[in-house]
Amino acid sequence: MRFLLALLLGAMLAGGCLAQSFEPAEVQRILQHGHWPPPWTPDPSNRASGNPAAVELGRRLFFDARLSGPGTLSCASCHLPEQAWTDGRPRSQGQELVDRNAPSLLDVRYRRWFGWDGAADSLWAQSIRPLLDAREMAGGAGHVAAVVRGDADLACRYRSVFGAVPDDDDAALVGAAKALAAFQETLVSGRTAFDEFRDALQRGGDTAYPEAARRGLRLFVGDAGCLLCHVGAGFTNNEFHDIGVPFFVAQGRVDPGRHGGIQRLQQSSFNLLGRHNDDPGQATATRTRHVALQHRNWGEFRVPSLRNVARTAPYMHNGSAKSLRDVLRHYSEVDEDRLHADGERLIRPLRLTDRQIDDLVAFLETLTSESVVPQGDPTPCTP
Amino acid sequence: VRLLGALSALIAGSAQACLPGPPADSARRVQSGDAAIEFRPDPAIVVGEPFTLDIRACDGLRLVRVDAEMPEHRHGMNYQPSIRPLGQSRFRAEGLLFHMPGRWQLTFEVKGGDGVPHRLTTDVTLE
Repeated sequence: MRFLLALLLGAMLAGGCLAQSFEPAEVQRILQHGHWPPPWTPDPSNRASGNPAAVELGRRLFFDARLSGPGTLSCASCHLPEQAWTDGRPRSQGQELVDRNAPSLLDVRYRRWFGWDGAADSLWAQSIRPLLDAREMAGGAGHVAAVVRGDADLACRYRSVFGAVPDDDDAALVGAAKALAAFQETLVSGRTAFDEFRDALQRGGDTAYPEAARRGLRLFVGDAGCLLCHVGAGFTNNEFHDIGVPFFVAQGRVDPGRHGGIQRLQQSSFNLLGRHNDDPGQATATRTRHVALQHRNWGEFRVPSLRNVARTAPYMHNGSAKSLRDVLRHYSEVDEDRLHADGERLIRPLRLTDRQIDDLVAFLETLTSESVVPQGDPTPCTP
Repeated sequence: VRLLGALSALIAGSAQACLPGPPADSARRVQSGDAAIEFRPDPAIVVGEPFTLDIRACDGLRLVRVDAEMPEHRHGMNYQPSIRPLGQSRFRAEGLLFHMPGRWQLTFEVKGGDGVPHRLTTDVTLE
């Protein structure tokens, strides 16, 4: 009998059938990445946040190519619903090829800074940026305002949310952007295999979570140190780091990353310290009021969420990593000479084995949820 | 992630250290030589979320700077806190944000009537 039990145990170990258990400290770190989804709270800086009429107006604007100057590009040209709200390109193509990769809009409502450089401090301010950028939609405030005023259905919906379309083009643009933000706030990803496992751990139980994913998760919260930045339910600390990705865009031209982002933020009339913030107490502007411009911000880029990361290739701010394996090889072999000598000491070559890379990929794939494609309301607006 | 707060104040051992009165609920005291302050975070410190510090100093001490860094990572905060005097040696530091788990070293710089600065440091560890 003993022999049979030993034989059975040996076979299970050889086949990897015994679930990896986690130490209490590991469980504590794993639990930090939930619960998902977080409770819904409206954005106090946007009076249209959570308003169904604003969501529908924003949805229509999001897919409307007339908002671009030439009338050829909509927000959805670079944020495609069927591609997890990104475009699958290394760098996006607007009126010109831009310098950066289009980030997914899934769960964008939980960000604190927007864009790879955080030049916007609200989702509505971020929604303005591509509309005005000559390399992207090249719309301009007057152009966007004219499109909204000139379309009976859009103008009707605008009135129902904000009142009459204002004569002030900037104010009209901000209204359109706040509706766009209200729509994007609905793009919340669903639950994942990781979430089921994480919640089971919290209850003291377990789920049929893949063995390779367990090993990858142990590395993620342990030796690889990924959770130093990819922490919390959204798998991001919502801040900026230099991970050694080259920031040269072309010969003689660099992407300053966060350093340029803070400068643009502070110069923007659409930041949360300005007149367009609907939050009377301006508690939403705390980060903007206190953010510090530092030399080390050069080459720093926003820490992306890892939810649905398996659906959002290519990776990095410039789309230079084609696959998750390429990202992990970057961390495995990162060039420390590329990092600032006076910068933070966070990144070191992880020297991962092929199996460890496979395990981390297996874990990251368990952060995938069903597609999110909200359905619109076809009913015409009635004044 | 909750504040676990491993305090390691730089205590110089002076028996003459001023004290800012009886400690308030959940306040932590930091002392260096003959200078001392008490501080209390509001809300509790969570990775990635802004918080303020309510600070009470000895009579006559003026809080001139609050900052924090992660010595092992060799970086500070991404934010520059502001200090608001509330009167009666009380201050409010706003705009702090710890963006990573690990050991943070908080520094308070105070000045007395003689203008001599005192640096008081303490550790806060976020799991």
